[in-house]
Amino acid sequence: MTDNLPRPLRLLLGFASWLLTVAITLVGLASLTFFIGRVLPIDPVLAIVGEKALPEVYDRVYLELGLDKPIWQQFIEYLGKLLRGDFGISYSTNRPVLTDLLSFFPATLELATIGLVIGVALGVPMGVASAYWHEKWPDHLIRVIGLIGYSVPIFWLGLVGLFVFYYKLGWVSGPGQVDVFFTGIVPRITGFILVDAAIAGEWEVFWNAVSHMILPAVLIGYFSLAYISRMTRSVMLDQLSREYVLTARLKGASEFTVVVRHALGNAAIPLVTVIALSYGGLLEGSVLVETIFAWPGIGNYLYSSLFAADMNAVLGGTLLVGIVFVLLNMLSDVLYAALDPRSRSLANK
Amino acid sequence: MRLYRTLVAVALGAVMTVSGAIAETPKNTLVIADAIDDIITLDPAEVSEVGGVLASQQIYQPLVTFDPADPTNIIPVLAESWTVSEDGKTFTFKMNPAAKFASGNPVTAADAEYSIRRVILIDSRISFIFAQFGLTKDNVAEKVKALDASTLQFEVDQKYAPSFVLYVLSSFTGGIVDSTIVKQHEGTLADGSNDYGNAWLKSENSAGSGPYVLTKWDPKVSILLSRNENYWGTAPGVDRLFLQHMPESATQRLALEKGDIDIANKLGPDDIGAIAGNADIQILEGVSSTMYYFGLNVRNEALSNPKVVEAIKYGVDYQGIADTIGKGTIKVHQTMIPDGFLGGGIDYNPYSLDIEKAKALIAESGVATPIKLETVVWNVPPYPDYAQAVQATLSQIGVELDLQVVDGGPWLDRYRSHDLDIWFGLWGPDYPDPHSNAKAFGNHDPSDPDGTKGNLADRFGWNSGKVSDLVNQAVQEQDVDKRKALYDEAQRLHTDTSPFVFMFQDSRKVAMRNSVKGVVLGITFSDDRYGGVSKE
Repeated sequence: MTDNLPRPLRLLLGFASWLLTVAITLVGLASLTFFIGRVLPIDPVLAIVGEKALPEVYDRVYLELGLDKPIWQQFIEYLGKLLRGDFGISYSTNRPVLTDLLSFFPATLELATIGLVIGVALGVPMGVASAYWHEKWPDHLIRVIGLIGYSVPIFWLGLVGLFVFYYKLGWVSGPGQVDVFFTGIVPRITGFILVDAAIAGEWEVFWNAVSHMILPAVLIGYFSLAYISRMTRSVMLDQLSREYVLTARLKGASEFTVVVRHALGNAAIPLVTVIALSYGGLLEGSVLVETIFAWPGIGNYLYSSLFAADMNAVLGGTLLVGIVFVLLNMLSDVLYAALDPRSRSLANK
Repeated sequence: MRLYRTLVAVALGAVMTVSGAIAETPKNTLVIADAIDDIITLDPAEVSEVGGVLASQQIYQPLVTFDPADPTNIIPVLAESWTVSEDGKTFTFKMNPAAKFASGNPVTAADAEYSIRRVILIDSRISFIFAQFGLTKDNVAEKVKALDASTLQFEVDQKYAPSFVLYVLSSFTGGIVDSTIVKQHEGTLADGSNDYGNAWLKSENSAGSGPYVLTKWDPKVSILLSRNENYWGTAPGVDRLFLQHMPESATQRLALEKGDIDIANKLGPDDIGAIAGNADIQILEGVSSTMYYFGLNVRNEALSNPKVVEAIKYGVDYQGIADTIGKGTIKVHQTMIPDGFLGGGIDYNPYSLDIEKAKALIAESGVATPIKLETVVWNVPPYPDYAQAVQATLSQIGVELDLQVVDGGPWLDRYRSHDLDIWFGLWGPDYPDPHSNAKAFGNHDPSDPDGTKGNLADRFGWNSGKVSDLVNQAVQEQDVDKRKALYDEAQRLHTDTSPFVFMFQDSRKVAMRNSVKGVVLGITFSDDRYGGVSKE
């Protein structure tokens, strides 16, 4: 129906419909979280004032939180504030939730990104090797390594990792983002400790941060490579059994060209979705990893806010994760279109 | 593949060259690991979470304090002396002329007046601690007055035991702030009222007289305190205190053993046991007033029979649980006032596991077995462990506990609504005076049959009778020794007849590096003092 319209208009409509989908998703997410929060058997007023507060104190906070208004009205007001960029104040940190999110999310983003890079850099080749030497010893070895990665509890791996590499061998630094000695030296610009340290030229802090980050990042990387290698293996097995592979070999193409350029090239398409979703999962913040390594990330923030019944913080964090997933989905759609020419013409119908 | 290998090798190499850098904490900084993500304020008039209290204790000082080893010994701090009027209702404090704030301003009665008044005026979540003396927003200007620069007058509504008033004033809520500075930062709340500097003091600033000042609070991550250069007492031996949020006990242990932290405040029993042999680490034992108990709702027909209650008390393996599950972090304690408080330490623990006696009592009671009881337990260790141990022994006498292990929210909700037969939990006093516990567990208020105002005896449906009389007499007893004797009598009667099964008192074990000297462990949760600390 839209085929005959000029291209810019089509793009605009496409963008508008995407925006609408995003908006509906986020509003749905917000309302679900909001209503669950109000229905939970935790009294948010008591969480703020404590068990033994006097009745006047309880009443004052009750009114401050706007709990006397009907639920739908509270929700509309909340949405209104959201549209203005006001996520409310977290009562447990006494800061705007937005400030909290900007403070805690970069730490998780940094860790998750490096973890994902490790996961992809190791996981994809491992999956390819596994598929190529299907049922031979490299395949078995890689599958066992993968199995350990997603079966063994990550907190156990983390503690064992700390024990071996930090305590016994002293190869890496311990919990926390930087040594106590270096805390507060680097001014916050982006929130990413590595980037900020580099900008400030504080190389000692930079390398210290690296040594604190390496163990949790490798751990997260291991966790994600387990899944990525398995998915790569299955997609590659499918591709390698196709006719074009046989044709290419008969035509005299080298094994490397057949496997990497052709098979992996085609496998990349579904893999992009797998990797994007994997990234999303990591960006939620692994509470367990952050607890063990005392990492100031979003997982820890959401977890402790939930237990403190700090609804503004929980809602803000949940929405952030929702937005991240929406963006990642969008990115994977774009990459999908870029990698697979066939889907472009479909998309334009 | 080769490219990957090279990259990994380079990365590892770089890491190894720098990781050897600094493994020990800096000499001038004391690093303490604790779980501090529940702190929501650092204003002494409203602070009440463990981490917040710990920080506040180093920054602010009260009028008086007491010796945890001998609580009857009350020590002057910002007040150098005090008198009590004949009718017991007026306390007059003489301020210590030597005391100064971190700003250099002298500590005067005006500061004390301002600090105590603002606890009531800002509607603090812990204002009840002072409000229980009859202070309200309307009368606080009259009742708390600075008669001159060095004299503070404090009026209470009834004749209370002087030790009661003094213990309450010694709590962290009684921290005195520099009114000159705080007044410059007063703000206005949404309804137009004065916030008395609450917003300013809540998160980033301090105005105290203690050995440290607040430098930075990074919520849920860390708190940094620096030495007060104008401290009027003996300066601490370190420049900075760094409180680091490290929620996992095993991580704290590794970091302590490696030397990356100096003090680990939250080691679990397994980790304490594991590092006991480490030559670089010392373990300090302190008193903690937290008590673990379970309460029986005597509205339940079976539990309304005193013989059943007594049988249950004989059906718990107190020592067994303390030894195997607690592993030295708890000790058996069966009375309502913890050791270390006035009236505590009477060592009255008449119950121990005696299955035969318990069975006989059940038989005598005439109640048919099995007796099924709905038991609400918090899902955080060690409560499920204690509950399961109790369930196992009680099943041998025909009492079956239906354990409902729930989250903190529902656990407290059902507690308040007494929608259960048994509640498994803990109690921590709000201020260092026996009345906090005695009132909660022993007071009977006929006008409040559900105990909504915090009287647990009523909440569990028990009319405490004589215990209530004793408790209310004790809080007004002017003579300290007579007061102690009243609590002694009240506790024995309470333990014998109440539906509360007290099991253990926390025995705090804090592990720290041998190089740390001079830590004074506190008595209520986390009021350790680092004012005299130094590192070798």
